[in-house]
Amino acid sequence: MSKPNYDRTHHAKMATGIGDPQCFAGKAGEPKFKVGDRVRVKDLPDLFYTRTMVYTRGAEATVVRLVYESPPAENEAWDNTDDVEWFYSIVFKQSDLWPEYNNTYEADTLETEVSERWLEKA
Amino acid sequence: MTSSTRNEVHTHLAMMGQVQPALHNETHAPSPDMIDHTLWRAYTRSCHDVGGEYDIPIRYEEKEEEIWELNTFATCECLAWRGVWTAEERRRRQNVDVGQTAYLGLPYYGRWLLSAALILVDKQFVTNIELSDKIAEVKKRYE
Amino acid sequence: MSDKDHGHSHKAAPMVEEVSDFEILEIAVRELAIEKGLFSAEDHRSWTEYIHTLGPLPAARLVAKAWLDEDYKKLCIEDGVEASKAVGVDWIEGMPTKFGTPSDYCNLRVLADTPKLKHVVVCTLCSCYPRPILGQSPEWYRTPNYRRRLVRWPRSVLSEFGLQLDDDVEVRVADSNQKTRYIVMPTRPEGTEGWTEDQLAEIVTRDCLIGVAVPKPGVTSNATRPVRKALKPVPHDH
Repeated sequence: MSKPNYDRTHHAKMATGIGDPQCFAGKAGEPKFKVGDRVRVKDLPDLFYTRTMVYTRGAEATVVRLVYESPPAENEAWDNTDDVEWFYSIVFKQSDLWPEYNNTYEADTLETEVSERWLEKA
Repeated sequence: MTSSTRNEVHTHLAMMGQVQPALHNETHAPSPDMIDHTLWRAYTRSCHDVGGEYDIPIRYEEKEEEIWELNTFATCECLAWRGVWTAEERRRRQNVDVGQTAYLGLPYYGRWLLSAALILVDKQFVTNIELSDKIAEVKKRYE
Repeated sequence: MSDKDHGHSHKAAPMVEEVSDFEILEIAVRELAIEKGLFSAEDHRSWTEYIHTLGPLPAARLVAKAWLDEDYKKLCIEDGVEASKAVGVDWIEGMPTKFGTPSDYCNLRVLADTPKLKHVVVCTLCSCYPRPILGQSPEWYRTPNYRRRLVRWPRSVLSEFGLQLDDDVEVRVADSNQKTRYIVMPTRPEGTEGWTEDQLAEIVTRDCLIGVAVPKPGVTSNATRPVRKALKPVPHDH
């Protein structure tokens, strides 16, 4: 079997002096969602790797910031950086995530980041 | 009570947390009809995804760093710096590919180290036997 | 038998150094990587040196500066990477790679508390942490235990740290699961009127910057916790 040839300079060429995720800016196209949108996290198949926590799936949240563009972790984990998506910081009410969360603490929230493929309009 | 009694009390209480009833299923290579969707999800999930799982209050500690741990961290970052892997590849390998048992059974930096060893072999920078030979050679230095 | 009776002294048998499987593998991996030209010994040395420069002081100073300057505070909230420059942290070029650290990326966000909003940070998936501005993460932050519990039972976990928030305070857990890294900017405590930036920075401890503690006049270190000893510890704290 032949040995694969890895270009070990690829990431450095892309990101030196620029930064990561800055090096992916402008590659994702138009964002689908904007600040203030209500979104729901889809329970997509996530075989072998995901960074969209199962505890968020099916729950609704509010977009609070468009944070950066980047390849989704599910692909970047195999060094595949071809497809770039917008990443959103979204905020959940804790009472929407955990059935036992006491409504004494009705104001409590959780903020985390999700890439566009995981989101649908709520 | 003397402090040795208090020590024994707390050792006992901690031990009882490990003594659990166990129902053993014959789960070695089950037939497919024995795996429903819930079990499928349990076995195929990304094992680093622990948020929201039940756990108990424990005494949180600080920890002195081992020299090998610091070296491992630097090795992993240098491997990424010089393009052998990206940090995301490392996380996938180190925090998910290792599997559920190693994930909870090995030390944090133990997984970093094993993953660094495996990337060298997987990407064919080193053969598996070269790695084994090197381990044997290093071991010999300490005999 | 004394040494006087011989023409030479008896040396003690050399101590057999106890070496763990981890140490052996670490040496093997590093030496192989260097032999195969994947990185150089100098690369490894310079990375270790870089890590030794890291600690929580720059983040503490960022918070102190923000407490004293409303415009800087706005910059911190809007653009944490730009704000970091004022405390000597360049997330892109301030380390040997010149493209950020591989594991910490270049997207710091500063989470500003208010009297009605308390942030606390976790990485449920691993232990992502803003090393360039805060140093290495504490052991407890890396545990599955903290990562399981903080997102679901934040007030319980915080009370174990000695921190309890009023019912009408919004406790917001930030789960740093992607490329953003967070530090918490706590609210400035009472009893610090007229303080200098240095005095203010002194009370912003690492635990305050993670969000499991709040700054208090007179408290300049993290709460005391047991310290698990290493078998062969790194010579000094970093």
